[in-house]
Amino acid sequence: MAKYWLFYLVGAKNTLLLAFLAVLAGSLLGFLVALARLSRAPAARLAATAYVEVLRGTPLLVQLFIVYYGLQAVGVRFPDFPLADRLLGIGFSDFMAGALTLALNSAAYVAEIFRAGIQAVDRGQSEASRSLGLGRGMTMRYVVFPQALRNILPALGNEFVVVIKESSIVSTIGVAELMYKADTVRGNTFRPFEPLLVAAACYFLMTFPLSKLLARIERRMRSGTH
Amino acid sequence: MELIRTVGLRKSFGPVQALRGVDAVIGKGEVVAVIGPSGSGKSTFLRCLNLLEVPTGGSIAFDGEIVRADPRGAHAGGALADGPAADAWRRRMGMVFQHFNLFPHMTVLGNLCLAPVKLGRLTPEAARDQAMRLLARVGLEDKAASYPAQLSGGQKQRIAIVRALAMGPEVMLFDEPTSALDPEMVGEVLDVMRDLAAEGMTMVIVTHEMRFARQAASRVLFMDQGLVAEEGSPEELFGAPRGARTREFLAKVL
Repeated sequence: MAKYWLFYLVGAKNTLLLAFLAVLAGSLLGFLVALARLSRAPAARLAATAYVEVLRGTPLLVQLFIVYYGLQAVGVRFPDFPLADRLLGIGFSDFMAGALTLALNSAAYVAEIFRAGIQAVDRGQSEASRSLGLGRGMTMRYVVFPQALRNILPALGNEFVVVIKESSIVSTIGVAELMYKADTVRGNTFRPFEPLLVAAACYFLMTFPLSKLLARIERRMRSGTH
Repeated sequence: MELIRTVGLRKSFGPVQALRGVDAVIGKGEVVAVIGPSGSGKSTFLRCLNLLEVPTGGSIAFDGEIVRADPRGAHAGGALADGPAADAWRRRMGMVFQHFNLFPHMTVLGNLCLAPVKLGRLTPEAARDQAMRLLARVGLEDKAASYPAQLSGGQKQRIAIVRALAMGPEVMLFDEPTSALDPEMVGEVLDVMRDLAAEGMTMVIVTHEMRFARQAASRVLFMDQGLVAEEGSPEELFGAPRGARTREFLAKVL
C-alpha cells in the first residue's frame, strides 16, 4: 500500500485543480444566473429559472454523461494540448468535460445562494440608496451586494466543500482524480477496501482545512463591521 | 414660488387604493407637515414625490419637470421608477426614513461620501471635507469612523439627515423620522430639523409629532382615506379644524 502514495498525491492534485476550476467558473456563472433571475426582463428571468430547476432536478452523473458524450456527439470537442496532458497526467479534453459539468452544476446552486442572499437584504437599504440618486447598478454594487455577500458566505463555503467531494464523480469518465486513482490502487493491490479509506482521508484533509479557513474569513468579516 | 405640485395623484397597490386623487402644492422654503391616521396614505404620498412609488394616476410637477402616472405601476410589485431621469429627480430630493436605513457595512463617513463621490459630484477629498462639516453641524464629528451599529437611534437618524443633505437637495422629505426612536432621542432629531427649516430648506414631513408640526410647520395637510381632507396654517388646523374627521383625529392624538 505504502508505495502507492504518489497515486494519491497526483489524484489529490487533479481533484483540487478540478474543484478550483469548477468553483471559479461555477461562482461566476452562478452570479450571472442570479442577476438574470432578479432582472426585470421576463425572458431573462424565465431562462435563469429554467436553468436552475433543470440543473438541480437532474442527477450530476447524468449531466456528466450528457456533457461528455453529448458534446462529442454534436461535434464539440475540447482541444487536446499535449503539454496540458503531460502536466495533468490525464487527457485535457476529458478533464475539461468534467470541470465544465461540475461548474455548470454548481452554478445552479450558487445562483440560488446569491439570489436568496440578495433578496434577504432589507429593501430599505436599496430605497435609501436610490433616494440618494444612485442608479440600479450602483445600488447593487455598493449597497446591496456587499451586504448579501456577508450573509451568504457560510452557504457559499459549504458549496465549495460540496464541489470538492462531488468531483469524485468524474472518475466515471476516466479523469484521473483522487477517486479514480484509489480505484486503480484497488485493482493493483487486490484490496477492495483499504484504498478507499485512504481516499476518504485525503478528501477530508482537503475539505476540513477549507471549512476552517472559511469560518475564519467569516469571523473576520463580521468583526470588521459590527 | 411653487416647487412641487401634484394633480389628482393616485396610487393603487393591486385592489387597494392608497391615494385617491391628491392635489397638493409645496412652495419653495415651505415646511409642510403631513398628518393623519395610519393608513391614510401619508407615507405613500411622500414616497410618490420622489418616485420610490410609481403613481398609478395623476401627475407630479417638480420645478417645472412633470412626471405622469404609469397605470401599470399597480402591478409592478413595489417597483420604483427607474432610469436616469428618475435618478436625476431623486438626486434633487433628500429622503429620511423611519428606520434610518444607514448602510451598515460602511462607516459614518462612508455613508456620507458614497453618493457624492460615486455620482461624480465631489472628489473623495471634497466629499470628506463636506461630510466633516455636515457631521459638525449635527454634533457628531467624533463618530465619522464609527459604524451605524455603534450608534444610538437618535445619532443614526441625525446621520441619515446629513447623508441626504450631502447631495445638496432642493427639498427634504421626512417619513416619520422620529417614530422608531426612544422618547428621549426624539428631541435631538427634531432640533436638527428645526435648524434645517430655519435655514430655509423646503421640507415635507410625515409625522405623528403634533407639537412639532404645530411649532415648526408653515402649513399642515391632514390626510384621510387617500385624500387631503383639510389643509391650512397650524393655527387654523389645530386651533379651528373645520372637518369632522379632522376634529375626531385631533381629539384622539392631542
